[in-house]
Parts: sequence; C-alpha cells; structure tokens
Amino acid sequence: MSENAAVAEHPTGHPGPALYAIIAVFLVILTLMELTVYYVAALQPVLVPILILLAIAKFLLVGGFYMHLYYDPKIFSIFFIFPLILACFIGAALLMIFSALATRLAV
Amino acid sequence: MAAQPRELQLEQPNYLTSERGIYSWLTTVDHKRVAVLYGIASLFFMLVGGIEAMLIRTQLAVPNNTFLSADMYNQMFTMHGTTMIFMVIMPIELGFFANFMIPLEIGARDVAFPRINALSFWVFLSGALFMNMGWFGSVLPDAGWFGYANLTERPYSSGINVDLWDIGLLILGISTLLSGLNFFVTIVNLRAPGMTFMRMPMFMWAMLVTTILILLAFPCLTVGLIFLFLDRFVDTHFYRTAVGATPILWQHLFWLFGHPEVYIMALPAFGMMSEIIPVFARKPLFGYAGMAYSLVLIAFLSYGVWGHHMFATGMGPVADSTFTITTMLIAIPTGIKIFSWIATVWGGSLRMKSAFLFGFAAVLEFTLGGLSGIMHAAVPIDLQQTDTYFVVAHFHYVLFGGMMFAILGAFYYWWPKITGRMLNDTVGKWQFWLTIIGFNGTFFPMHFLGVWGMPRRIYTYPPGMGWTFWNGFETGCAYLLFIAFVIFAINIISSLFIGEKAEADPWDGRTLEWSVPSPPPAYNFESIPTARGRDAFWIDKYGVIVDEHGHGAPAYGETSGAGAAAVEHHEHGGHGPVHMPAPSLYPLLFALALVLGAAGAMMNWIRIDILAGLFLFFSIIGMAFEYADHGEERPHADPPTYHGIDHRKAGMWAFLGSECVFFASLISTYMVYKPRNVGPGAEVLNIPLTSFSTFILLMSSFLMVLALAATQRGDRKWSSIWLFGTAFFGLIFLGGQVYEFTTLFLDEHLSMQGNIFGQTFYTLVGTHGCHVAIGVIWLLVLAVASLGGRVGKSRALSVEIAGLYWHFVDVVWILIFTLIYLMRTVKNA
Repeated sequence: MSENAAVAEHPTGHPGPALYAIIAVFLVILTLMELTVYYVAALQPVLVPILILLAIAKFLLVGGFYMHLYYDPKIFSIFFIFPLILACFIGAALLMIFSALATRLAV
Repeated sequence: MAAQPRELQLEQPNYLTSERGIYSWLTTVDHKRVAVLYGIASLFFMLVGGIEAMLIRTQLAVPNNTFLSADMYNQMFTMHGTTMIFMVIMPIELGFFANFMIPLEIGARDVAFPRINALSFWVFLSGALFMNMGWFGSVLPDAGWFGYANLTERPYSSGINVDLWDIGLLILGISTLLSGLNFFVTIVNLRAPGMTFMRMPMFMWAMLVTTILILLAFPCLTVGLIFLFLDRFVDTHFYRTAVGATPILWQHLFWLFGHPEVYIMALPAFGMMSEIIPVFARKPLFGYAGMAYSLVLIAFLSYGVWGHHMFATGMGPVADSTFTITTMLIAIPTGIKIFSWIATVWGGSLRMKSAFLFGFAAVLEFTLGGLSGIMHAAVPIDLQQTDTYFVVAHFHYVLFGGMMFAILGAFYYWWPKITGRMLNDTVGKWQFWLTIIGFNGTFFPMHFLGVWGMPRRIYTYPPGMGWTFWNGFETGCAYLLFIAFVIFAINIISSLFIGEKAEADPWDGRTLEWSVPSPPPAYNFESIPTARGRDAFWIDKYGVIVDEHGHGAPAYGETSGAGAAAVEHHEHGGHGPVHMPAPSLYPLLFALALVLGAAGAMMNWIRIDILAGLFLFFSIIGMAFEYADHGEERPHADPPTYHGIDHRKAGMWAFLGSECVFFASLISTYMVYKPRNVGPGAEVLNIPLTSFSTFILLMSSFLMVLALAATQRGDRKWSSIWLFGTAFFGLIFLGGQVYEFTTLFLDEHLSMQGNIFGQTFYTLVGTHGCHVAIGVIWLLVLAVASLGGRVGKSRALSVEIAGLYWHFVDVVWILIFTLIYLMRTVKNA
C-alpha cells in the first residue's frame, strides 16, 4: 500500500507516512522507558525529573510532527505555546501558594 | 435544510433593509445584524440591572428600612453585579460594538465564523434568560456575583438560586468563549491588505488583546463552576472542608478568571476612548506604539494579580508580596495610557460633542478608580478596606466611571454608523451632566462610608452609625443617575424615528468604518480596501506621503483632499456579486437545546436531557453540513487571509490554547488536593491497564495522521479506514476507562463523594474521557462522510482540524498518565 512510501514532502508541507511511523515507534519506546523508570526501584530518587523529561519528549513529538507545528506557520506555535506557558505558570503558582499554606498551617 | 451562500448585488440597500421579517432576524449571520440583536438584548438587561440597582439604593436610603427583605436584597445585589458584568458591559462591548466594528475597521466583509457569531448571541440570550428565570418565584441567585464558597454549597444554599447562577454562567461562558475565538481569528486573519498590526485602529488592538484574555481566563471560571456543579448535584466536596478540601480553591479559580475579567471589560473601553478622543481632538492618538504595547502588558500582568483580591485569606508573606508588586506594576502601562489620552487632547482642536465628553470623562473617572485600586495593592490598607463600601466605590469608579462612560461615548460616536441616524447632541449633554453629578454623588461618598466602617452586602443598618446622611444622599444621586439613563433611552428611541439622518462620515473620522455609508450595506465594502497607513481613512481623505515601507505619517490638519492613495480597493471581489454566508436556523436551535438541557440538569429531568443532547448533536451536524460546499477550499472564491492561514485551523489552535488553561486548572486542582487526601488514594490505580490504554491512544494518533495523509492524497478508501481505525482505538481507550472506573468503584470503593482523591481523579480523568468521546463521535461522522464521498482531497482540512483536536487529547493524556498514574507514589508532586 502507498503508506509504505519513504518520507516525502507532501504538497501541504507535511511529512509522509514513513516519518509518522518512525514517530510512533519513538512514542512507544518512550512509553516503555517511562514504565521501566516507574518499576525500577533504583531509579525512584530521580523518578520525577526523568518522567517529566520523557513526558515532554512525547509531548514535543506529537505536537511537532503529528500536529505539524514543526512544519506549519510559526503563528500556530505562538497560539499554542503562549497558553501552554500560562497554564504551567497557573499550575506552579497554585502549587506554591497551597504548599506554603499547608506549611504554615502545619507550623 | 441545505443552504447556499447568498450572492448579494452591490446595489442592494443597507443591512437593516436588505432583508425583512422576523425570520430573517432569527436566522441572520450578518455580523451587523447579530450586533444589533446583542445591542437590543444588552439594553434590555441594562434596564433590568438598573432597576436592581435602584431597589438596592432605595433599601439603603434610610436606616432599618424594610422596603426589601434580607433575602430579596441578597438576590438584588447578586443579580445586579452578575447582570451588569455578564449581560450588559461585556455583551455591549463585545457583542454590540466590537461585533459591528471589527470587520468594518479592519476592512472585512464579516467575521471569520458568521454562524458561530449568531450562535454566540443565541447562547448568550438563552443563558441570560435562564439565569433570570429566578424572577418567577423570587429565587434569583443570592450568593454574590463572586459566588464565594462555601456559601454556594447545597447545605447553605439549598434552593435553585445558586443552580441558576452556576449553570447560567456556564452557558454565558460558552457564548463569550465563542465570541472571543471568533473575533481573535477575525482580527488575525481578515485584516485588509496593508493593515499590519501597527496600522490597526487602537480599538482593534484592544479587542485582539481582550479576545486573548477571554480565551485564557474563562477556562478557569468554567472549571470552578464545574466543581460547584458537581458539589451541588453529585455531592462531591471540592469546596467543603469535610474531606480535606478548602473553599479557598474557589477563590483562586474565580479570581484567576476574575481579574483578567476586569480587563476583558476595561480594554474594549480603552479602545473606544482611543477611537473617540483623537477624532474629537482632531489629533492623532499620542504614543500609538506605547498604547498598543501597554495593552499587551496589562493583559500579561493581569494574570499575575489575582491574589490581591484574596489578601484577607492569609496567603502568606511571599504570596502577598508578589501580588503587591505585580498589582503596583500594572499601574505603569495603565498610566501610560492615561497620559497618552491626556497628551492627545493637549493642544487639540476640541469639539465638545457628547461622544467626546463621555469619552474623556471616562479617562478622568477611571483614573479615580485606578488610584483607589492602587491602594489595594498595599496589604495593610487592603485588609482595612476589604468588604467595606470603599471597595464598592473603587470598582464602580472602574466599571461605571471607566467602562460605562466609555460605552456611552461609543453610543454617541458609532450610533450614526449603526442606525444611520444622529443622536440629539443637546439631549446628550443633558444626559452627560446628569450622569456626572449622579454618578459621583452616588459613588464618591462610598469611599468615606467604607473608611468609616460600613460593610458591603448588608441589607440595612441601624441609625447612629454616622452612615445615614451619606446613604440618603447617595440614593438621591442614584435616582438622578437613573433619570440620566431615562433621557438616554428617550434619545436613542426618538433618534430612530425623528433623528437627523447621518452622513457616512459625520465626525470626520479616521478609520475605515467611516468610508462606507451609514448604515453600511450588508456586504460592508464594495471591494476589499488596501490600507497604506495608520488612520487609513483619514489618509485617504486628506492625503499623505507614504514611504516605501508604508510608514507615512498622517497629514493631520491638511485639507487638500489630494489623497485617495492610502486606501485603495483591492481588486478581489471586484464589482460583481459578493458571496455572503447564508442565514442559518441551527444556532438558534442549538441555543434552545442548550437551555433545555440546562433546565433538565437542574431539575434532574433525564429524558429532557437526552432529548436536548440529541437536539444539540443534530444542530451541530446540521451546521457542519449545512453548506453544500462546506469545508471545501475555494481559493478563488474566498478572500485571501492576511497570514495565508485558514480560519478554521487558526480557530482550532486558539481553542486548543484555551483548552491548555482548562486542563491546567483541572490538573492543578488534583495536585493541590493530593497531599490533603485521606483514605484510598493513587495507590489503587491500575498501572498495567492504563499503560495499555496509553499505548492505544498513542497509536490512535498514528492512525489519525495516516488518515490525514490519505485524505490529502485523495485516497478515499484508506482515509475512511484510518478514520474508523482511529475512532475504534478511541473506543478501546474509553472501554478501558469504563472498566477502570468500574473496578475502582466496586473493588476499591473509590467514589466521587468518599474522599478528595476520588473526586479529583474521576473529574480530571472523566473530563479527559469526555473529550475522547467527543473526538470519537467527530471521527465517526468524518469517516461516514468520507465513505459517502463528502470528505475528499479538497476538504482535507476538515480531517486535519479533527486531527489537531485528537492529538491534543493525546498530549493531555501523556501528561495525565505521567502526573497522575506514574507519579502516584510521589506524595507532594
């Protein structure tokens, strides 16, 4: 079937099925790595940073290649990344505020 | 009900007379007509909100008054705030003025999504009427416009009052989000050739920034309202201390929305002032770039100041200090704007028309509100002023002094363009002075009352507190203010019948809306204009030297009339028929179904909800396939977009940006509450099962891109196969989630009500599951349409947009899988 064609520039500027397949393989590998990190006791001290890095890697692969941010006009990346940063800021701010509150209440 | 785009002949009459009859208004998608509908509805609610205000002031006129009961007083001040913010100021600014003016000021024929525009209005109207149903039976919302938990919880508000507020606001939020998305894409994509960002009218800058604020602030409110809905209807405890939760969470979610909301109302008003003042000063806007950048800076900072509404909750010295600094910082860009408006007026040839009087008075009154706002940045002062009438004075100087004055100015300024009739300027000046006296007389003494200790939200007070005189005085002035609005109502109604006919350009305006007749034709512009400078129409009228970069300074004061080079008319569209979108009944049907579903949810009428769900589904499908050529790329029929990107794709990305904040609020709540959990927690989660689900969802994304690639090739067979495959994988994922939820509930006894983990977990993961379910339905519809030959190569974008949504759901799951499942053993994530 034609899906087996090599990576080729599509008229839309998007990659072909072959590159999509490679990305899928990477996604599976990264998920397996996540599970490995999760189940290996020796890695528990660095569980959080490794898992976050792996999640970011998967996020970038899906966003960059499947959602075509890597290929499409940069304006779409702006539409997405600015809210993403704001979302992270909101999450971090709430965690810090409630964490400080919990600490004060505990004292 | 297949409808085709209309072909309008250019000699057609204006938008008000191009079509006639009630049905034409019920089905209209013309941005100007939709704006008029918004205007009528908003003015009606202004009357309602005004009556509520007068009832409040009458009750407070004398001590120990029994004019209103305590309960009715609660309902009145709650509805006054809610009405004025969500049903008057926002819809007038966004739905009426912005809706009418955005396409006209950027040189477009309509907004990017005309039917969504109509949908926004009908959803707005249904939400507003839904909330006001409480008038029947005196069960209006009664917990304040801020709805502080846990006052809003079922044990403390057992009636349907808060239900109406909660569900009504959710509906109004949908409307606002749709408008925000629509206007954002319109301004980004539909600007006329040559209209760079730095050539846009300042009102367009204000609206662009406002729409970004809407897209990124409303999701926080939506999440907060969903939690409240679950607390009231499913008996969860998001805001109850019973299982370790805290009502403070509501305040954070509400003010994360609430402070940007202040600017969602303020920035359009700033834009209006920036349009009105230069025209009546006959000078260009001073410091254009600084004005534009300060809008952006205000918006940016507005997300970091919500905590100043919460100093009294005891957030701690670090948080208090941070919010103090950010609140003080926001005064800088606001100050830049105030000084720029003053500098614009300075040395100008002022024309003291009503529009200018209101527009410039807005600067002065808003400055007073801003100054008292800065006081609230200082925690010690804020703690003294919290919950006193000082705060009531402050926000009325901002909301009425800043915004309502600007809105009234905009009425006098743009009314001729909208209706083709002039408002009586002498009557306007009477209204202006009465408004000035009535407004300041009503609200300025509240500063003193607040400092003297009068708490807000009290329905009466005893004599001998030193508050009696000023309360009586304020009530008298409030009646004066009401008379001013009666005069305004007489002016606008009489102008429709006996008002002087307006010319196309009665104020010697600067921007493109004044280049078309008053009222404008349905198609706005005979041909799309090309803007070669800022203040494009002024340059057109009076001439300008334009350098090769198009940075020519407008030649203000010159009257040679030698110009006509600045606004050229783009050849596209020519002088033949103009393609305009066809009317549609589906937006109205959708809104009716939505309000039906809301009533069903509130009253627990399951059959009604199922019926409403079916209606909603068929309305969406109807809208999707209404046009025979819907979704088809028509490069020769549609005007080119400014950035060469498709509206729908831009709209989907903007929506996904909004969704980022939505899920951030949900995930943050889970993580904030995780350490507070007592009882079964994340250790009961089934990692192998969810790992399999994760694998399935990731592979569904792979199938999705294959479907897109096949559609782009024109391979219908494989397009359908991959689309069905993606939907099938989505169904497997959902099946896994149903199995997981069932086993957690039956085997681990993890319920929504039992503990804090159960409610946050089910809500977060369940919300994601709902997104997956919507995606599955979307994909199945596309797959069936593809099989039927309705999704070919020319409509590949439809598949791409569905794919964007699907991949987004996938990336959200990547985060959920990591943060909720794999980090389950981390206590303080």
